[in-house]
Amino acid sequence: MPESKNDLINCVKVSKQFGYFFALKNISFKIRENTIFGIAGANGAGKTTLIKIICGLLSPTFGKIIIDGLNYEDHPNIIKRNIGITTDESFLYEELTLYENLRYYGNLHLLFDKEELDKKIEDFALKFNLSDWIHEPIGNLSHGMKQKVELIRAIIHEPSVLFLDEPFSGLDYKATKILITFIKELKIKKKITIILTTHNIEVLRQISDDLIILRKGKINKSFSKEDLNEIEIESYF
Amino acid sequence: MEHEKISLKLRIKLFITILKKDIKSEIRQINDLFSILLFGVIAIFIFSSAYNYGTQIQNMPLEIFTIEIWFIIFFILIFIMTKLFNQEKESGTLGGLITSPVSASTILLSKIFFCFILLTFVEVIIFLFSFFFSAPLIQNLSFLQILNYIILGVILPSVDLAICGSLVSAFSMYVKNKSFVLPILLFPLILPIITPIISININLFEGDLITTLYYELFFIIAHITLMVSILVIISQTLLYD
Repeated sequence: MPESKNDLINCVKVSKQFGYFFALKNISFKIRENTIFGIAGANGAGKTTLIKIICGLLSPTFGKIIIDGLNYEDHPNIIKRNIGITTDESFLYEELTLYENLRYYGNLHLLFDKEELDKKIEDFALKFNLSDWIHEPIGNLSHGMKQKVELIRAIIHEPSVLFLDEPFSGLDYKATKILITFIKELKIKKKITIILTTHNIEVLRQISDDLIILRKGKINKSFSKEDLNEIEIESYF
Repeated sequence: MEHEKISLKLRIKLFITILKKDIKSEIRQINDLFSILLFGVIAIFIFSSAYNYGTQIQNMPLEIFTIEIWFIIFFILIFIMTKLFNQEKESGTLGGLITSPVSASTILLSKIFFCFILLTFVEVIIFLFSFFFSAPLIQNLSFLQILNYIILGVILPSVDLAICGSLVSAFSMYVKNKSFVLPILLFPLILPIITPIISININLFEGDLITTLYYELFFIIAHITLMVSILVIISQTLLYD
C-alpha cells in the first residue's frame, strides 16, 4: 500500500514477546499527521505495551516503527527531540520542586535559554492553576496536580507528537473535561499529533479522529471519525 | 521534525544537567548519605577498637589500616551503586531520561561522575575518622608524597571503582532481586584491582617512589580502560530493555 503523504507514524508488523507470552502480535497501522489517534481495549489487551513501543520506551521483538520517515535504530535522538510522553509511571522526581522538574526536563530537551524556559514554566503553571505550587516539591502535590505537571513536562519542549497513556485515569469529571479541551487545543493550535490510550469510550468518541481497538494483542477493529458515532464500539472490546 | 545534530557543547550541557540534578536530589535526601557515612564511621570504630583490644597495640600497622579502609570503601560502593540507576528505575524516572534526546554514553558518564563525587566525599570523611580512630604508623610525608598518595592512591582507584559501580548498577537495574545481584556482580569485577590498590596505598604511605609502582598503576589503568571499553560497547543495550 503506498504511504499517504500525511502519514506521520507507520507501525509495521510489530510484535512484542515477554518470555513465552506475546503481548502484541503482528500489528500494523498508520497515524496521520495532526490527528488524535485513540488506542482502546480491555485490561491486558496491549495498549500500554503498544504506546511504549511507539514512543521508544520498549523495543519491538519483531517489526519496526517509522516516525516521519525515521526509525529509532538510526535516529533515536532526532525522534526523541520531537516527541512528548506521559505513561502510567511518573517521570517526576518527588524530592525536586515543580519548577526544578520542569527545568530539568526542558534542559534534557535542549532548552537551555533560562529566561525563555522560565517564561514557559510560568505560563504553563498559570494555565494549569499551579502557580502557587511552583516551588513545592512534587511529593507534596496531589495526584491530579502531579498529572498536570506530567502533561506540562511532556509538552514543554513543544513536541510534534504527544503520547498519552491513560491520561484520564484518576481524574474527576471536571478535570477530564478540562483535559479534553486542552488536548483538542494542542491539536488545533500547536498542530501536535496525539496518540492516546484509554478505556473511556465517551472520551474517545469526543476527541478521536482515528481509533483502533486491541484485543489479546491484536487489532480487533479500526475506526475512522465518521464511524465513531454510529458503531457500537463497546462490542469490539 | 527538527533534524539538527547534537553537538559536543550540547552533550556537555546535558551531562552537567543530569549531574546537577543528581547532586540536588542527593542533597534533598541527605539522610541516605548520613546512613552511608554512619556505616563507614561505625565500621572503622569497631574495627579499630577490636584491633586495639585484641592486640593491645595502640597504633595500627599500615598494612592492616589500608586493608581496613578499602574493605569498608568497597562496601560503601555497594550502597552508592543503589543510588545510580536502580533508584531511577524504581521511581520510574528512568523512562524520562531514556526518552529524552540524550545519548546512553552521556547518561552513563554523568552517573559515573556522580558516583565518583559521592565516593570521594565519603572517602574524605572515612579517612579523617580512620586516622583518628586507628592511628596508623605513618612516617612524615612531604607535600609531594601526600599529593602522590591522593592522586594515585585514592583518586585513581576511586575512578576505577566508580566506573565498575556504574556498570554493575546499570546491569542490575532490570533485575528483580537487586540487593542480592549487586554484590555478586560487583566483586568479580573489582577483585583483580583489590591487591594493586592496597599495594599502591601501602607503598605510597611508606614514601616509596612512583617508579616502584609501575606494575600496579599500569594494572589499574588497564582495568579502567577495559571497563570504559565495555561501557562504550554496551551502553546502548544496557539502558534500553
